[in-house]
Amino acid sequence: MQHLDKHNGFKTPAGYFEKLSGRIMDNIAQDASTVSQEEAFQVPEHYFNNLHSEIIQKLEKQDTKVIPIKSFKKYYYTAASIAAILLLLFGLTWNTTKTITYGDLANSDIDQYFENHELSFSAYDLAEILSLEELDYNDVLENALAEESILEYLNTNVRDLNELNLTNDE
Amino acid sequence: MKIWGHSSNYKRQTLIAEEILVRQLKQKDLQAKAFEVLVNAYKERLYWHIRRIVLDHADADDVLQNTFIKVFRNIDSFKGDSKLFSWMYRIATNEALSFLKNKANKLKLNEDQLYSKISEELRADVYFEGDEIQLKLQQAIAGLPEKQKLIFNMKYFQELKYQEISEILETSVGALKASYHLATKKIEAFLKEQ
Repeated sequence: MQHLDKHNGFKTPAGYFEKLSGRIMDNIAQDASTVSQEEAFQVPEHYFNNLHSEIIQKLEKQDTKVIPIKSFKKYYYTAASIAAILLLLFGLTWNTTKTITYGDLANSDIDQYFENHELSFSAYDLAEILSLEELDYNDVLENALAEESILEYLNTNVRDLNELNLTNDE
Repeated sequence: MKIWGHSSNYKRQTLIAEEILVRQLKQKDLQAKAFEVLVNAYKERLYWHIRRIVLDHADADDVLQNTFIKVFRNIDSFKGDSKLFSWMYRIATNEALSFLKNKANKLKLNEDQLYSKISEELRADVYFEGDEIQLKLQQAIAGLPEKQKLIFNMKYFQELKYQEISEILETSVGALKASYHLATKKIEAFLKEQ
């Protein structure tokens, strides 16, 4: 039994099954087998014969573009080193030059700056920056405040002035 | 050199020949000769694969040359996990698809518009001698989604086996069969409409 051909002697033409799907597809069109797998696309004559040499030429062209960059690499390093040294030298020189400090600014310049710029500091910002010990009433008031004016204000607005226990020393 | 043989003995011999070729391509002194062997062995199959994607001969020539150059430059990164031919086929596919994307960008077209344009241009192409029904078939293929287009071309025209297409496109055989079936149905519908 083992030696018997499973197909009982029936045979198919050579390549029948391999080509089957293609032939079925050919029949899809209105007329059977009008869409063939025959190559409708063409190539120029000798195209494949010259292909290898064309690729080699292209490869060499690309390589020659790369080589000069590599050979210039050492100059890039030299140039970079010189630039670094120069930068260091100039950097040191710049550090030795007199730097402008806050004290060098003329007071009039500072006043002008504050007048011309809207700084929009809040009361909180001012409290953070300015220390109370260094402040006097007259620093924030345009007109000098006389002692009499203060007493008059307190007399008018505080119900019982005596409760404040103010003495002449305070 | 036939790579896609049928007998296991032939396949084994082919794999050994591929291994030797890859080894020679990685050796500086043997590289040039091995590259010539490689180009001559695979140029036609890769050309026809690319040509069916890009359709125009000049474009196919550009893509084919770039494919071989990429193969040459990247042979050291070929680890032999897949067959050399599958690897080259993958590079060719990617090169062809990126070429078309760039072409679409340059012409300010989307990919569907580009496929429709290049398949229509076949009428005037001196390197296309297909009759009306072959033109229609190309237009029908141009209307397929990218993956179905690739699978249809590889299966129908190049007669690659599902297993081989599976290795190239890294897609399961089941999914390939489904895609091919869908593609043939769509082409059939397109041709009947015409």
